[in-house]
Amino acid sequence: MKELVLIIEDDKALHKMLSFALEQEGYKSLIAEDLKSAHRHFQVHKPDIILLDLGLPDGDGKSFIKMVRHEVTTPIIILSARNDEKEIVTSLDMGADDYVTKPFSMHELFARMRSAYRRASGLNSSSPILTCGSLSIDTQLHSAYKHTQLLKLTPTEFNLLKYCMLHPNQVLVHARLLKEVWGVGYQQEMQYLRTFINSLRKKIEDDPTRPHYIMTEMGIGYRFFCENSSYPKE
Amino acid sequence: MIFLRPYRHYFLPFFIQVFITLIGTRFTESIGLINIAILHLIPVLVIALRGDMVATMIITTISVILFDLLYIPPKYSFNVHNLIYAWSFILFYVVGYIITFQSRRLHSTAIKDVLLSTLSHDLKTPLSSIIGNISLLHKREKLNESDHNRIVVQIKQSSQQMNRLILNLLDSARLQNTQTLLQPQWCDWEDLVGIALQEFDQDHQLIASSIDPELPLFWGDTALLVRLLVNLLDNGIKYSNDDTLISLTIQSLNDSIQISVFNQSPPIKKADLKNMFEKFYRLENTADMGGSGIGLSICKKIVTAHQGVITAYNGNGGVFLEVILPTIKHPDIRPKELL
Repeated sequence: MKELVLIIEDDKALHKMLSFALEQEGYKSLIAEDLKSAHRHFQVHKPDIILLDLGLPDGDGKSFIKMVRHEVTTPIIILSARNDEKEIVTSLDMGADDYVTKPFSMHELFARMRSAYRRASGLNSSSPILTCGSLSIDTQLHSAYKHTQLLKLTPTEFNLLKYCMLHPNQVLVHARLLKEVWGVGYQQEMQYLRTFINSLRKKIEDDPTRPHYIMTEMGIGYRFFCENSSYPKE
Repeated sequence: MIFLRPYRHYFLPFFIQVFITLIGTRFTESIGLINIAILHLIPVLVIALRGDMVATMIITTISVILFDLLYIPPKYSFNVHNLIYAWSFILFYVVGYIITFQSRRLHSTAIKDVLLSTLSHDLKTPLSSIIGNISLLHKREKLNESDHNRIVVQIKQSSQQMNRLILNLLDSARLQNTQTLLQPQWCDWEDLVGIALQEFDQDHQLIASSIDPELPLFWGDTALLVRLLVNLLDNGIKYSNDDTLISLTIQSLNDSIQISVFNQSPPIKKADLKNMFEKFYRLENTADMGGSGIGLSICKKIVTAHQGVITAYNGNGGVFLEVILPTIKHPDIRPKELL
């Protein structure tokens, strides 16, 4: 099946390029240059994926996220300018699924789209064993392995890794990670997150400064990268 | 005498003051008070053109004192019998102030001009590589696989270079006003290095980093510190002999963090080592390097904004760029967890 992508972007050069590249990749696409036509396209065509530029001529794209989330769980990916970390975090909190910053590579965008779409179509496995590359964890036994070798993780490190592995390829905002792993009230305690990510990387990464699993999204959060997770590729 | 260097712009106006005083006191009668007053405005003009308010005030005050003391009756006293002279003194200051203000404006437009010309040069260099390579692709015929790949890689690298330059510019604008716009938070150096390394995909393997694993978290602006690392490495790559290793070392000293980047290259002249962090300064022999004079000046601003110092020195068959950043705030001691 060809998925329908709604591109909401007012820059002509960019949306032309996007729709061409999407076509090459096997998607169908629709273009909206402002919020008004975005609303119309959304109601009429029911797109499968939405690419949204936040700065539109007739208003703030965030209101559109709100409207969509009111009705459906269609994946929304933000196309953002740099220096907009606050905007990105707010949009993610409002229900956007992911983001790319301009200038972005098509490769990157397609990866984000695939993973967001997969998540939205509910293909998550419920097995207690999660694997990703050479890493695997058993959520019931509370044990983690790298190349079948048992990793000595502290309880917090384990919870952090577990949360990451349960949400692979997804942007995980700082505040959300802190809340989910440490608990409510810890959302601002960045130093915990930095310290534990650092120590976790030392245990799971081959080279902590060139991480393979836990990627940093500057000013926003982290992303657990997983090429061959237990999730089927379409 | 070294301590006088920062004040060397005072020398010329001082000299003029002395000269005018010699002439004035000798020929007071024949020159007349008005003309002597005008003569004493000359040092004020000379210093005011530098645009330094404090210096203007000092030289103007000297002029006023000399004029009052030596010429205005009663001589050799600070008493002024005729109120009209008090007006002259005020006018001295007004003239000094206006010229200082105007010359500052001229100064800032001059800087903008340099900025614009440097920028357009630096942006045009990668852009012309992109356009040139694209037109090669456009023709299509007679391109074998490896040529094609080489062209695409070049386009990619040039665009990354442009992107880096634009990011620098944005940060440079942000740094104009560091106190209000610095957004400090806890940073992990390994993490920062990881992000910085992502910007150099092709040259990735040429960078060897060694980071003290026990490095504490650092209270600083994440985005700017990443830019600092990127610019230091970028500079190292640009000015190193081809295909040699760039090394990045970060270690913790007492109450500070030391970052040093080393690249192999012929030694740099002493004067150049000092000046390379000034805005738009470029080593003489590197005019067509396609680099930007803006990178290191931004490094300096970022370091200064974090109360640190940046220096460059020759050694070991290459050049070291060294940054020392004081650790101003210490993280809470990490709650120890049992395995």
